[in-house]
Formats: sequence, structure tokens, C-alpha cells
Amino acid sequence: MASITLDNLGKVYPGGTRAVGDVNIDIADGEFIVLVGPSGCGKSTLLRMVAGLESISEGEVRIGDRVVNDVEPADRDIAMVFQNYALYPHMSVRQNLAYGLKNRGTPKAEIERRVKEAAEILQIGPFLDRKPRALSGGQRQRVAMGRAITREPAVFLFDEPLSNLDAKLRVAMRLEIKELQKRLRTTSIYVTHDQLEAMTLADRLVVLNGGRIEQIGTPLDVYRRPASTFVASFIGSPAMNLLDAKAVPHLPGTAHAGTIGIRPEDLSLAEDGLIEMNVMAVEELGAQRLVHGRTSGEAITIALPSDAPLGDTLKLGFDRKNLHLFSRDSGARID
Amino acid sequence: MKRTIFNNQLLPWLLLAPQLAITFIFFIWPAGQAIRQSFLREDAFGINTSFAGLNNFQGLLGNAQYLNSMKVTVIFAVSVTVLSMGVALLLAVAVDRMLRSSRVYTTLLVWPYAVAPAVAGILWWFIFNPTVGIMPYILDVIGYDWNHNRSKTDAMILVVIASAWKQISYNFLFFVAGLQAIPASLREAAAIDGAGPVRRFFDITFPLLSPTTFFLLVVNIVYAMFETFAVIDSTTAGGPAQATNIMVYKVYFDGFIGQNLGSSAAQSVILMLIVIALTVIQFRWVEKKVEY
Ligand SMILES: Nc1ncnc2c1ncn2[C@@H]1O[C@H](COP(=O)(O)OP(=O)(O)O)[C@@H](O)[C@H]1O
Ligand SMILES: [Mg+2]
Repeated sequence: MASITLDNLGKVYPGGTRAVGDVNIDIADGEFIVLVGPSGCGKSTLLRMVAGLESISEGEVRIGDRVVNDVEPADRDIAMVFQNYALYPHMSVRQNLAYGLKNRGTPKAEIERRVKEAAEILQIGPFLDRKPRALSGGQRQRVAMGRAITREPAVFLFDEPLSNLDAKLRVAMRLEIKELQKRLRTTSIYVTHDQLEAMTLADRLVVLNGGRIEQIGTPLDVYRRPASTFVASFIGSPAMNLLDAKAVPHLPGTAHAGTIGIRPEDLSLAEDGLIEMNVMAVEELGAQRLVHGRTSGEAITIALPSDAPLGDTLKLGFDRKNLHLFSRDSGARID
Repeated sequence: MKRTIFNNQLLPWLLLAPQLAITFIFFIWPAGQAIRQSFLREDAFGINTSFAGLNNFQGLLGNAQYLNSMKVTVIFAVSVTVLSMGVALLLAVAVDRMLRSSRVYTTLLVWPYAVAPAVAGILWWFIFNPTVGIMPYILDVIGYDWNHNRSKTDAMILVVIASAWKQISYNFLFFVAGLQAIPASLREAAAIDGAGPVRRFFDITFPLLSPTTFFLLVVNIVYAMFETFAVIDSTTAGGPAQATNIMVYKVYFDGFIGQNLGSSAAQSVILMLIVIALTVIQFRWVEKKVEY
């Protein structure tokens, strides 16, 4: 069990690429933190700096009260689950699970107990004597998790662990990871580019863009009050409508904003609606229908119940409190 | 894919003819000759030839010089293989760590492979030449009296180095390719699992490299046993006192210098059997057993 502090953390790769800059996060003991952002935004780099697989160019990483900048990965009391699982292909599942313990000189009986326990938790008991290549993707994923938990580390690090699974399995494993973390209460940092995965797993989200933090907050906080147009467009599906304030001049109380945001689900059909929309395409999702179109030249999407009437033009209304206003220059939230 | 149909039955054979001719002239016919001669006894002038049964083979197995040649061959082949593969692996591991910046390094290491064996032999013969070479001079400074014309050990060391040197670049390329094929995340996972660099090498890298290693093992043994003729010929010519007279050199020496064709042919047949055995092992093992 440990807290983690990232203090002004930065990374410049040899060659001059700045991958991460000015990252400050305080992670509480037992917290599940998800780093989310588009591909190439520096998530893996950040995680690998915590793991000790990447050198730290600026700032400090503290695990517990200890500065670990110069501590070997093995001595940081962490375990990591890799995107490609990184199972040792020439070792059986049992040996994979035991390897970290064996290297640390854990007594045989203790190793056996922990392997058995992990196998039970993850339901991989029947495969203990198989090689990884004789397992399905989902089973490999479980073994990778098992390898992390047998070690009983203070911190779990996950780098997109579900991205190689098919959609259905991904949803199931997502739940399992959440439950497992709840049960073990191990401080965790989880990296993903999938905002839905991020929303469902996180105690707190860290939204990254171009190596910098855009926002830190609980999933609902971030969803309800995105700190910038970037976060607004990244978190939530379908994405929030972002309209140029000049293009929709009639909305009251928005004079000082550059961009006006409103979520598709916060729009509704209204006779006296202020927004007039030309319908261009409709997506039927079963429970609801997404209607895409334009208003004053700006793209706009609305989520409607599946039985809502359709036409070539729709009048849309909204509640003033559901508007998100952003600065024209920085894209930052202003209210 | 478009399939060409030959109406003329002769044309395919004509197209294959050059390859078939080469195979026949340089491989099948000499092999057949060797097998035939290995059962014959021929006097030194090639006038009288008589059937000798297995006498040539029995003579070899009872011949102290031939048994010595077998021993020398084993020592030589094992030394060349271990040395060339060991050095190549060390270099490959070093390069693998910094591969992006190492293009020059890699190119330099590949040069030796472009050097003909005889030239390599002469090169090393010069370097180790007791009167004009640089190595004996250096060794003399640290108190070692190098002379591969007199010392059996020195001679063996010379031919081993001269033969291994060329093979290092070949092995190196395969090892680098093999190392590059191991995902970095495996070694990273092992690092997190508490394995230091040495442990990581022996627990993860080396086992995963085993298909490459086994392939190279066979290739290097075959090389040391059969392709080092020119190196031996240009450095020690099998001497001193038979110390570097490996089997393939002895075939040549007994046949062409000693004019004992029956015995030489029998030796060729034995070598042929060894090649066949190695090839079988290669196919059986590399394709099936060495996997994970
Ligand atoms: N070893 C490296 N050398 C140089 N640049 C790198 C290296 N690894 C990653 N980068 C760069 O750093 C940035 C962040 O990469 P990464 O952390 O892998 O992003 P993410 O995991 O969010 O997709 C990218 O621009 C990437 O090209
Ligand atoms: Mg990544």
C-alpha cells in the first residue's frame, strides 16, 4: 500500500522529443487513477517513468515517502501489466506467476500458496501447466494480471491491458479489473486511450493532451465540467457539440465565450427552440437515435429517443445550465 | 497466378539442364567416385586396381594418425564454434542495446565475412608469423614465446582464431536479428520481476534465442569441419606433427600428396556420412524440437 506523488515530472527523449511536461499528480493510497488521452500524448511514457523503465528528465516520482527517481524497477515495489502481456513464452503459466517471487528468494511454500491464490482469484487454475501460447487472448490477459498480483506489490501499473481483446471480452475484463482492485485496494495507475474504459474504471481521471495534463477529476466531474474544449470533445460519447459562439449568436449569456459546448443528450426538440438544425444523417442505436446535421454551418449532433419524430429541419432547445462556455484563445473553460 | 504450360516436353529439361549438370559434375559424380574408390585398392601408379571390401575403412579405424585427426577435428570444430559464437553473441548483445546508433559498428563487423578464407588464413599467418608478425612480438613482451611452427598448441590456437574470425560476422548478424525479435517488454517485465541484467540474459534472452543458437551451432560445426580447408592450407598445412590435420585436410593430403586414393576416398565417405547426419539433425531439431 502506498501513495504516489508525481512532482513537476517531465520527459525529453534523446533527440529532443518532449513527451511529457509539468505533470503534478497526488495519488492517494488505494486510489485507482486512469491516465487517458489520444495516442501519442505521453501516457505510456509517464507510466514507464513511474515503473522505472524510462529515465526521468525533470521532476520527481515518489512512492510512499521515498523518491524513486534512481531506484531500479525491481526495487520500486510495483507490478506492471503490459499491452502485449509480455508473458515469458518458454515458461509455463505457473513459472510465469512464480518468477518474480523466485527472484526475490521467497520460500517455496509461500510461492506455491500465492500462485494458488492468484490462480483461484483469476480462474486460471486449469492452465497452470500450459505454456502461454496454448492460451486464448483472454486467458493470457488473466495470467498477466496474475503475475502482477502474486507479487503483492504496493502499486499496480497497467498499460492499455485490454486493447488486444475483442470488444465483449474487454467489457467483461474491465469489470473484473475494477472488482479486483476494489478487493485488493492496491494503488493503481491505468493507461488507456478509450474514454469509456477510463470513465468506468477510474476513481479519478487524468486527461492528457500533448504530454500535459488538461484536467484531473472524478469521471463525473470531468464529464460535467470539462476544463477545456479538448477534454469536452474527448470525454463522453457521442462527443459534445462545440459551436463557434459567432455562428450561433442568439444564445443568451454567452457573449464573452469563444466556443459554446452542449452535449447531444442535453439537447431536446422544442417548438420555440433557439437552434435550428438541418438534418443530414441519422444513426439508429436501438435505445436512442443520433441525428447529425448543421446549424449556421457548424456540425451538431443530438441524441433523441428512438421514437422521436424526424424531419428535414429540427428546432432544438436546451437548459441554460447545461451550456459549457470556453475561452476563444486558450479553449479553457470560463464560468 | 498465371501458369505457363510447356507444350514442348524438352524445354523444361533444357532449362533445368545447367543446374542438373552442375549438381552432377560437382556433386553426384565425385561422390559416386569416392564411394566406388573407397572399396578399391589401387597401387601408387594407378595401374592395378583390386576390390578391397571394407579394408580401406578398417585400415582407417586402426590407424593412429586417422584417430588423431578425428580428435583434432573435434577439438578444432568445438573451439571454432564456441569462440565464433561466443564472441558474436557478446557483440550482438552489446549492439542490441544501442542498435539505433550502431549502423557503422554493424557494417564494420560484417566485413570479415567478405574476405576469402585463404586470404583470411594468410592474414592471420602474417599477424602470428614468428619472425615478422605483430602478435608474437606482443606476446614476447608479456613473456610468451609464440611459435606455431613448433608448438602444437600455438598452431591449434592460430587455426582456431583464423577460422573463427571470419565466422563471427555471420553469427553476429543472426544473433542480432534473433535478439531484435525478442520483444523489449519481456526483458522489462523480467526487470520488474527482480531479475538483474545477467539473470535476465540467462532466464529470458538466451532461452528465447535458442532456435537461432541451435541453427548457428550446426552451421558453425559444418563450417569448421568442411570449409576451413583453405585456412589450414595457408597457415599450418596440418602441422606441426599432425596437430592441425583436420579430417577434411587429411583427405586432400592423403589423396593428392600421399597418393593413397583408396584411403582418401574412404575418408571422404566418412565425411559425407557426417554431413548427412548433421543435415538430418538440423532439419529434425531446428524445425521441431527447439521451440517454446
Ligand atoms: N523511445 C522513444 N524515443 C523517442 N521518442 C519517443 C520514444 N517513445 C515514445 N516517444 C514519443 O513520445 C511521445 C509519447 O509517446 P507515448 O508515451 O508512447 O504515447 P502514448 O502511450 O500516449 O501513445 C510520442 O510522440 C512518441 O513518438
Ligand atoms: Mg502507449
